[in-house]
Order: sequence, then C-alpha cells, then structure tokens
Amino acid sequence: MVPGMIRITRDDINPGKILEEAEASTIGALVSFLGVVRDDGIERMDLEAYEEVAEEELARIREQAIARFGVSHVDIVHRVGMLSVGDHIVMIVVGASHRKAAFEGCEFIIDQIKESVPIWKKEYTADGSRWVAGEHE
Amino acid sequence: MMISVRVRAFARYRELFGERFEVTVPAPATVRDVVMAVEESNPRGMGELLDSGGRVKPSVIVLVNRERVTGSHRDDHPVAGGDEVAIYPPVAGG
Repeated sequence: MVPGMIRITRDDINPGKILEEAEASTIGALVSFLGVVRDDGIERMDLEAYEEVAEEELARIREQAIARFGVSHVDIVHRVGMLSVGDHIVMIVVGASHRKAAFEGCEFIIDQIKESVPIWKKEYTADGSRWVAGEHE
Repeated sequence: MMISVRVRAFARYRELFGERFEVTVPAPATVRDVVMAVEESNPRGMGELLDSGGRVKPSVIVLVNRERVTGSHRDDHPVAGGDEVAIYPPVAGG
C-alpha cells in the first residue's frame, strides 16, 4: 500500500509537518502544491463540501495517480469552512523515485480535484457574496 | 402509491431549496420526478434545475445513493422510496 493520507478538515494545514512526514517514506523526489486564498478584493471565503462523496472521490483520484504515474507517496488535504486571504485551501504532496512522476502526479491530482470533487467556494466582498464558478461548467 | 425520497442539496441549491429534506413523489419515480418536486418547492428556484422542456439541466449534477447518474437517460433513472438524491452545481474546489 502506498503511504499517505486523505483528509477534509476544518483545521489549518501545517505544510511543514505534512512534508516532514512524507519525507520519511519517500526516496527520490517530493513535489508539493499548496493552494492559498488569493486577494481578489474579497473579505473571506466559505468552503462547502459534500464530505462523504468528496472523500470517496479524493481516494479514487489518489488511486488513479498511483496507478498512472507509479508514485510512492500521496497526501491530499482540503480545507472547508470560513477562510481569509492568505489561508491554506488545499495541500497535495506527491513522492516518487524521480521528479517527473512526482510533478505529473501532483498536477494530475489538482486538475482532477477541480473537475470532480464536490467542493464549492462562496466569496464575501464588501458588496455582498457570490459563488465561485467551476472551471468545468 | 406515493414514496418519500431524501434529498441533499449543496452550494447555491442548498440556499434555494434547503440542506436536507424529503420530497414525496408518485411511484415509480425517476430522477426527473424528484428534481421537479425539488424545484417546485420554492418559486424562487424556478428554472434553476429544469430547462424549458422539463429536462434536468446538464449543469445540475445528480447522485442517487452517492453514485453519480450520467448519460442521456439520466432523467429516467429510477428512484425508490428511502433513496438519497443529492443535487449540486459544478464543483469549484482546489
């Protein structure tokens, strides 16, 4: 079994800790992606998930990445709840023997998350609120 | 005979129709029957889920018992009493 974890959490993500734990099981390359709330003139952002299905979908994406790129470690952690500018949204860590598999696996995972995992963002500005449109309408 | 179906709605649809509720539809029921009952539960939601021809809009994602229903016949997919039907708009996570 490939080490790593899947988590949907209301707690902040600690990138250093996740990387450190991934390092223990990885020899070769470790690629990480950290999504952060952008300053688009928003005051805060509320993330909502269909948690049971989102976890199943993340597990499926993780297995696909392992099968497709032969990676040896995968962590996917996604926040839900109210976030502010600069807060962590999502962290993906992919370990592999060589950098190419780790980079490709990591990109594949974030692309798949944006396409199929039931998570939505509502942005709050000084003027009101709006749902962020998906990239795959 | 009427059956009761559990519905979960997310994001914009949750705001319009509620987070968890039940709808009652005549058996045998389909995805389209359930979605129509949901849409009719709030006059402000008219046109959100069904197109002018009464078909479920392609942008509305539908799951029955946590399994996504896709394909050209998804409107006719059967729904039984006690099933959980989830509806949500295109996802925007990551």
